[in-house]
Amino acid sequence: MASVLERVVAVTARVLRLDPAEIRPEHSFAADLGAESVQSIELVAMFEEEFGIDMDEQEALSVETVGAAAEYIAGVCRKQGIPTEP
Amino acid sequence: MADARKHHPLVDATEPNLMEDVFPYSLPPRILFDGPVVEVIDGRPVEFDFGSVRHRPIVVTDTTFRDGQQARPPYTPDQMVRIYDLLARLSGPQGVVRQTEFFLYTRSDREALDRCRALGRRYPECTGWIRAVKGDFRLVREAGLAETGMLTSCSDYHIFRKLNFPSRKACIDSYCEVVAAAFEAGVRPRCHMEDVTRADIDGFVLPFVDRLMAMSRQVPERLSVKIRLCDTMGFGLGHPGAALPRSVPKLIYKLNRECGVPSERLEWHGHNDFHKVHANAATAWLYGCDAVNATLFGFGERTGNPPLEGAVFEYIALKGDLCGVDTTAVTELAEYMRAIGLPIPDNYPLAGRAFNVTRAGIHAGGLRQDERIYNIFDTERLLGRPPRVAITDKSGADGVTLWVNAFFGLKGQERLNKIRVHKLARWVIDQYELGGRLTPISDEELAEKTRELMPEYWQKYKTASPPA
Repeated sequence: MASVLERVVAVTARVLRLDPAEIRPEHSFAADLGAESVQSIELVAMFEEEFGIDMDEQEALSVETVGAAAEYIAGVCRKQGIPTEP
Repeated sequence: MADARKHHPLVDATEPNLMEDVFPYSLPPRILFDGPVVEVIDGRPVEFDFGSVRHRPIVVTDTTFRDGQQARPPYTPDQMVRIYDLLARLSGPQGVVRQTEFFLYTRSDREALDRCRALGRRYPECTGWIRAVKGDFRLVREAGLAETGMLTSCSDYHIFRKLNFPSRKACIDSYCEVVAAAFEAGVRPRCHMEDVTRADIDGFVLPFVDRLMAMSRQVPERLSVKIRLCDTMGFGLGHPGAALPRSVPKLIYKLNRECGVPSERLEWHGHNDFHKVHANAATAWLYGCDAVNATLFGFGERTGNPPLEGAVFEYIALKGDLCGVDTTAVTELAEYMRAIGLPIPDNYPLAGRAFNVTRAGIHAGGLRQDERIYNIFDTERLLGRPPRVAITDKSGADGVTLWVNAFFGLKGQERLNKIRVHKLARWVIDQYELGGRLTPISDEELAEKTRELMPEYWQKYKTASPPA
């Protein structure tokens, strides 16, 4: 099973139509990857779908980088009892 | 001017001060005063206590059927009865909209008046409007009215150029003959001082009013003359220090305090030629004139009159209380007037279709967080009109989310967030970015797309009712 970060990268690449190999943990969704306002919301929605979780809108939208998103999602999964590791 | 500079230290806070004593949200923002106002009149400082307006018996009077009707094809009696009934609801039991005036010349005028009175509403009281012609009092008497307006034009433009009097004295004598005829007929005359803001105040208006007051002292109080100050061309100015004849404060002062016309017998009638119509009317209230004459949605001769619904909201703001007014009648009146062909612009305050509709996504974001941020007061409670968004390319996901929540009627914790609405937000953006659309998206289109893209919520919230 892929790691949380790998799954975050895969979703990000799909939503923003990027090559996954170009996406790094330190990349900012908006400044580096060019996510526009509605794309940020689509990313959150797709992360919810991918991980089967519910995220707080304000908290989720305030996460800026790919790495921070992976950390935040891992935390939400733990709180909601969703397994993320093999 | 003296140096007024001083230091202003920050008052730091960790909790917001929403100033709810001024902006109660359940009411229009209150109009509060810090202290007296001084106006220099004839070289002397004169103090005015605006705060006293809270306790003074100020009222709104209506001229929708007279000045309002002069600016459009005639209303049918059916239409007038419906409008009158809604005005009565707006007025409330205390009679905030105290009077409305009717033409008396045609069979249709009389039918409308009789049918309105037959409704049995206490307010607005029905009064008449006639020319300053002695014979016209027969019409007032036949209609059984206690009061009628009559034209007593004041400026030399009217006295000499329109009415062709040989002198001011001849003019006053003629007007006073008609006033005497009114007394004789047992009808209270309301002298409409036409074009007063272009008249010679000291040379004509004040001597005329002195004479009217002297005549009034000879008759019972119920017949004593009322004075309507008609700013016929919209020349009136509320600015402190403005000179006569254009100064609203000085006009009111001179009639009220120098001529001794009681406040309850003074009325202001404005026109909007210079965009000052509502402010001038409110100024008249503050300086001692108890009645403000207005028309629904400001519709009247040329640029119109003080908007009646604006005056009612000003009244509530000054009093700090609804005073029995049913403000939701404004919305019904607007719907009815639109239905019978009166154009009310979409952005028209309090009654336009879009008066509390935002198109900006950033404002919609604010509305989602706290409606008070971008709504002037509780428009749902007072006007039956919750704040809304019009969906365009500027609405953003916040605007779409606000629309969806309003559409499903969701409040509080039930409301959906942007994440749940992302598919619809994407569709909206694609309409403009990919489809090249230039027009707003209608509620009907959005409803259809909501059904398609959010079927689970449609099922949950809309199965009991058809699409909006």
